[in-house]
Amino acid sequence: MIEMPAIDWLTAVVFAPLAGAILAFLLPRQAHWVGVGAVVLTALMASALVLQVLTEGAVVTPLGNWGAPLGIDLRADGLSATLMAMTTGVGLLVSLGALNSYAHHRAPERMRRYFWPLWLLLLSGLNGVYLSTDLFNLYVMLEVISLAAVGLTVLSGRIEAVRAGLEYMYASILGALLFLLGVGFVYLELGRLDFAGLLAAPPSPALGAALALMVAGLALKTALFPLHVWLPQAHANATAPASALLSALVVKASLYIVLRLAQYLLPLSEVLVALIGLLGVGAILWGSIQALRAERLKLLVAWSTVAQIGLVFVAFARAGADGVAESWKAAALLMLAHAIAKAAMFLAAGRIKEEIGHDRIRELDRSPVRPTLAQLSFALAAISLVGLPPSLGFAGKWILMEGAMTSGYWHWIAVTMIATMLSVAYFSRVLTGFLRFDRQRTTVGEHQGWALADAAPLTLALCALGLGLLAAPILAFMNIGYPFGGAP
Amino acid sequence: MIDPLLLFDVILGLAIVSLAVTVLVVRDRFAMIVLVIVFGLMSALAWVRLAAPDVALAEAAIGTGLTGALLLATWRQVRTEPERWPALPRGVMVINMGLCALVLAGLVGAFLATPLGTPGLGVAVADNLADSGVEHPVTAVLLNFRAYDTLMEVVVLLVAVIAVWMIDRGVSQAPQPTLGPELGDLPRGFARLVLPAITVIGAYLLWVGTSAPGGAFQGGAVLAAVGILLLLTQRYQPQPSHRPLARGVFVLGVAGFAAVALLVAGGGRVPFEYPADHAKTLILLIEGLVTLSIAATLAALFHGREPEAISTQGGRS
Repeated sequence: MIEMPAIDWLTAVVFAPLAGAILAFLLPRQAHWVGVGAVVLTALMASALVLQVLTEGAVVTPLGNWGAPLGIDLRADGLSATLMAMTTGVGLLVSLGALNSYAHHRAPERMRRYFWPLWLLLLSGLNGVYLSTDLFNLYVMLEVISLAAVGLTVLSGRIEAVRAGLEYMYASILGALLFLLGVGFVYLELGRLDFAGLLAAPPSPALGAALALMVAGLALKTALFPLHVWLPQAHANATAPASALLSALVVKASLYIVLRLAQYLLPLSEVLVALIGLLGVGAILWGSIQALRAERLKLLVAWSTVAQIGLVFVAFARAGADGVAESWKAAALLMLAHAIAKAAMFLAAGRIKEEIGHDRIRELDRSPVRPTLAQLSFALAAISLVGLPPSLGFAGKWILMEGAMTSGYWHWIAVTMIATMLSVAYFSRVLTGFLRFDRQRTTVGEHQGWALADAAPLTLALCALGLGLLAAPILAFMNIGYPFGGAP
Repeated sequence: MIDPLLLFDVILGLAIVSLAVTVLVVRDRFAMIVLVIVFGLMSALAWVRLAAPDVALAEAAIGTGLTGALLLATWRQVRTEPERWPALPRGVMVINMGLCALVLAGLVGAFLATPLGTPGLGVAVADNLADSGVEHPVTAVLLNFRAYDTLMEVVVLLVAVIAVWMIDRGVSQAPQPTLGPELGDLPRGFARLVLPAITVIGAYLLWVGTSAPGGAFQGGAVLAAVGILLLLTQRYQPQPSHRPLARGVFVLGVAGFAAVALLVAGGGRVPFEYPADHAKTLILLIEGLVTLSIAATLAALFHGREPEAISTQGGRS
């Protein structure tokens, strides 16, 4: 009897979507079935990895058996497994939504052909980022992600989308180059690029410069104010499933790397933390103001991403002089909440646009068609993003404010409150449009515009709402492998 | 007595910086492109002086040759459009320059404050070179020690070609003109003469990479030049019916590389851990497949679109 070799889940979650992408590209006519199959397979593998981390703790695979720093190690701990579960879970539901959005009668064949290879390559890159323990490898993965993301941005082929995609690509490449320059400084100082080497390094001018360069590059990629200029147009002009992936997942990859850098590189200096917090406040204010002014539903949702990213950075900054030992939890939970809720929201916005034919916020209340389930999903996602209990967003904000209170940083509590109020304000612009029908002269079709396609956004929105009840186990799981403070 | 090489280095450094500044200042697309090409050549020379012949080869072949070809192909598409240069207010320009100078000063300061000569990974590479299956350290790093990075770099190329095929189809509905004007007899004769030679050089670069500077990226780039010459002289015209084959060649490198990486695992070995006896064979196999993919991908990037509108039947498929 042949002994089955134990499958290495770490390699599997990177290679399965890669193989799926190759197949989907080779078989353009079957791309959607290949694509969904590969995403399902990857999600199963990610679940297996989550179970493995749960039972065994952090898992390491030294690729080529050389071992870091000569070779590259893949490592999964609680944080990376959580983000991977989030990515594959959200990705799976968005894929189901994409099956509908790019269906035969709805989209040109070009989209159906090219969405799947690009999305699967993106998934491979995302999983690669979560498992990476090497700075140069992270740079390579970021390149895969940004090119695939640019491809998804311009999928619709409309000229506005192409223009926004080009701007996105410039920003993305500039960010990657800044990151690479930082990697160069790390190598100059340490002569190695693996996380273990970073952990032991004492502070020095070169590492300070490296950290500044890398954080600046990642801030550009994750659209931290005032480097957000590329995001609203790129996310608003992409097709709905692509927007969901870009906003929910792509932005999180850069955020995740910031988390890891804060973990491994240096205790962040207080000035830098204050600066990051200040930029976060700027993002909250500016993103919210623009969301209040936006005339299109998708543009509003895109601007709210800018504001929510700002909140995640505020959660970082709350650390103050104590380091990120505690504050990362709030940041990670907020990332998780935003990913799930924003994917639901973009899919729901796409469904609403499909049913009523436009996404002008001002005229949402004048449509005779009432896509109730999509509107319900949008509202539930808004509840999580605003941060009402029991949503995941509430759990994240609660931990953020609790930490700020115990450290006596009252100004961060004020900022969080203002962010919450502003998000209530801009989301209610949309929600009132859902509820008011007095301006509609003809009868309203109460039960029009339901479809199986509403299942994906609704499931995501319910997850965003309900997962807040599981916040404690999620936090405990993220702690596995001592993400902060322990040896990798 | 000044060391003549030091003098050369100083002049080279000054030339590179002034070329870079000129590219930013000059207000003519064509001149810009030519300057970028010269800049690339000078950088390749600088890499030679820094004792990095592999990087120099890659810079010359990809950074200068292919990028130059891509830029010129783009220039041909947009040359009829009026050149509009955004006029920045002088104040903004001064502030930008000041900020850039500040950042640069900070980085230079950090650089100067760092003691040079940190051993780096060179020692570890030298220690393990004997087990890598190849004699050239750069190839050992790229195809063995850090093969995962290289695989993902090849994936980046695959993403690029997929994105390019996709974008152009969406935007331009009208049939595109062919790549260039009818080339005269001279370029055709030139192509006939040099094509075999370039092909041999590309294959040689691939083969020699196991023991000396060279390898898949450099060889692939040189072979891509063959493709570009074929496209320019219209000896090869992409047809819609060639698409399945083209897709196959694009993914060949990634698929082969990934398959080898996974198939060597098992029996106590992890992915990417080549059996010692077969390491060199496997590395050459991977490099061969990757070279083909790189060559086809780069040539397809130059062509710039999924072969659809340019069909001899005149219609879109």
